[in-house]
Amino acid sequence: MAEPITEPVLEVDGLVKHYPLTRGVLFRKQVGAVRAVDGVDFALGRGETLGIVGESGCGKSTVARMLVNLERPTAGSIRYRGEDITRLSGRALKAVRRNIQMVFQDPYTSLNPRMTVGDIVGEPYDIHPEAAPRGDRRRRVQELLEVVGLNPEHVNRYPHQFSGGQRQRIGIARGLALRPEVIVADEPVSALDVSVQAQVVNLMDRLQSEFDLAYVFIAHDLSVVRHISDRVGVMYLGRIVETGTDTEIYDHPTHPYTQALLSAVPVPDPRAREHRERIILSGDVPSPTDVPSGCRFRTRCWKARERCAVEDPALAVPEEFRAAGGPAAHASACHFAATAPTGRSAPGRAVPLEGHGGGPG
Amino acid sequence: MLLDVRDLHVEFRTRDGVARAVNGVSYRVDAGETLAVLGESGSGKSVTAQAVMGILDTPPGRITGGEVLFRGRDLLKLKEDERRRVRGAEMAMIFQDALSSLNPVLPVGDQLGEMFVVHRGMSRKDARARAVELMDRVRIPAARERAKQYPHQFSGGMRQRIMIAMALALEPALIIADEPTTALDVTVQAQVMDLLAELRREYRMGLILITHDLGVVADVADRIAVMYAGRIVESAPVHDLYGAPAHPYTRGLLDSVPRLDLKGRELHAIKGLPPGLTHIPPGCAFHPRCPMARDVCRTDVPPLYGVAEPDAARGSACHFWRECLDG
Repeated sequence: MAEPITEPVLEVDGLVKHYPLTRGVLFRKQVGAVRAVDGVDFALGRGETLGIVGESGCGKSTVARMLVNLERPTAGSIRYRGEDITRLSGRALKAVRRNIQMVFQDPYTSLNPRMTVGDIVGEPYDIHPEAAPRGDRRRRVQELLEVVGLNPEHVNRYPHQFSGGQRQRIGIARGLALRPEVIVADEPVSALDVSVQAQVVNLMDRLQSEFDLAYVFIAHDLSVVRHISDRVGVMYLGRIVETGTDTEIYDHPTHPYTQALLSAVPVPDPRAREHRERIILSGDVPSPTDVPSGCRFRTRCWKARERCAVEDPALAVPEEFRAAGGPAAHASACHFAATAPTGRSAPGRAVPLEGHGGGPG
Repeated sequence: MLLDVRDLHVEFRTRDGVARAVNGVSYRVDAGETLAVLGESGSGKSVTAQAVMGILDTPPGRITGGEVLFRGRDLLKLKEDERRRVRGAEMAMIFQDALSSLNPVLPVGDQLGEMFVVHRGMSRKDARARAVELMDRVRIPAARERAKQYPHQFSGGMRQRIMIAMALALEPALIIADEPTTALDVTVQAQVMDLLAELRREYRMGLILITHDLGVVADVADRIAVMYAGRIVESAPVHDLYGAPAHPYTRGLLDSVPRLDLKGRELHAIKGLPPGLTHIPPGCAFHPRCPMARDVCRTDVPPLYGVAEPDAARGSACHFWRECLDG
């Protein structure tokens, strides 16, 4: 990791999820694997927000599902307060799961349409009866609704009677019911309208300080992730390729993929049009069934050389920045990490990334 | 003037009553110009485009008033077969979801070629050659081989290129793109928007870009029309609008998006929710959510006031646009 975390609640090491590809009905033979997650490490401090960004298919949602034990890792460990939860089962697992809850992307399909809001938010208490005495539940549910900005009187309504933003609040209330320490949120605002997104982001901000929550916030929207995160990890094809504080990643990226990703994000300011230079990546993300040798980004990278095809770059602070320190000294999995994308030969325009945006005014 | 939409009204009959999806929308697009129509879901931005394009489902939809003047002709007065000749040949549309807009059991080259067979009366063979040319134009690598493939064999970005190729096929004067990059990843979105802008310049087409993304608008649009509850609430050249919005809704939107280049603490969310179209509030539809609302806003529907400075072509449907403009 880039910097030590004082009090880690979650430590992920060498996390791998491969889905086997098989052929044949009677004699099933494994012919390959979808390498959805292929060696991910990170740590999450208490009360901290780690943002994970990446494009579709990079494995970020699979990581989320493994964190809350909806998916068993193929290899690697997930330690909650030092205890590897991938090895737990039964009662011990149940006890740990209380502390790690999930908020899903789609508020339309993640709530049971036949259950009232009260039943949905109170359901965690059925599974963990020790969390709230039976007689106290209704009051607790109403309190939770109030906390997330819903009318506590609406406890008997059904999900379809609420808008998308309100449904996401219901999902958040359910996630809070057991007073977890960690909330894993997978694209929690991407299904919402712009004006409603901000309400939910602000709510999550407020709840974090109120309940001392740690978030793993997974999204493809880089602006939202920057807004909410203390640290950010950028994923590409099943790996984290760069990680650091939000300033390190957004203002001083050293991995070419991060640089391309950031340059592609449209800035809501027409004045940025003139002095902004985009790195247009060629081609598509390779299939996770057929991951390139060496650096997995090399097939789309304008800096790629022979070394990149043979040697898999480790996620570490690059040598040249380690001594100098400063914001460029953060972990980046690139043999040719550099603060400005140089040596570009691909068709299109050449780059200086420092030129765009100009930083906060 | 390429397209001049005047006072368009569209209604839908629903179980809950009449939904007034479009309530008097007017906008214009010149040749070579990009107009962005910005709005959230239910603002009427797509329905307006469907009415212009002539692909509105009727029923349940119904155009209850207005004119759609395209090169001086009112399209709403044309017979369906005349309309069909305009569609595709003179104006074309690009949809958000390329996968469901393409025929899954027909090779993409044949689908592209069909445009030339139907509209231009070309032979199958010539049409196929033109299709490969087009796929080349939208920079699909190995076009000749890929023309024989089916839609599911293409990635999302490549499929959207095929949609663009199809829209361009007959070199229309106007393209309407409805959320063309919403389903795509950012790096692919950048590729597709770049291509679209370049082709628009090359062919000097008018482009209507329908989107909810303030970033995309700032990147490509010349003019912008902001829609709310079926009306245009602000219309302005793009630089003016981002510099100083003249409507509280626009201001609210700009203040509520997190920005990559400015990490602030709290986002200024707009309170409340957009109204249901069967129950649009009286007066200014935005008043229940507006921090500036006064009595007159609850009773009088604001017209699109001309905002004289700095550009006569600006309009704001706010009684207090002057205050809003001053911040």
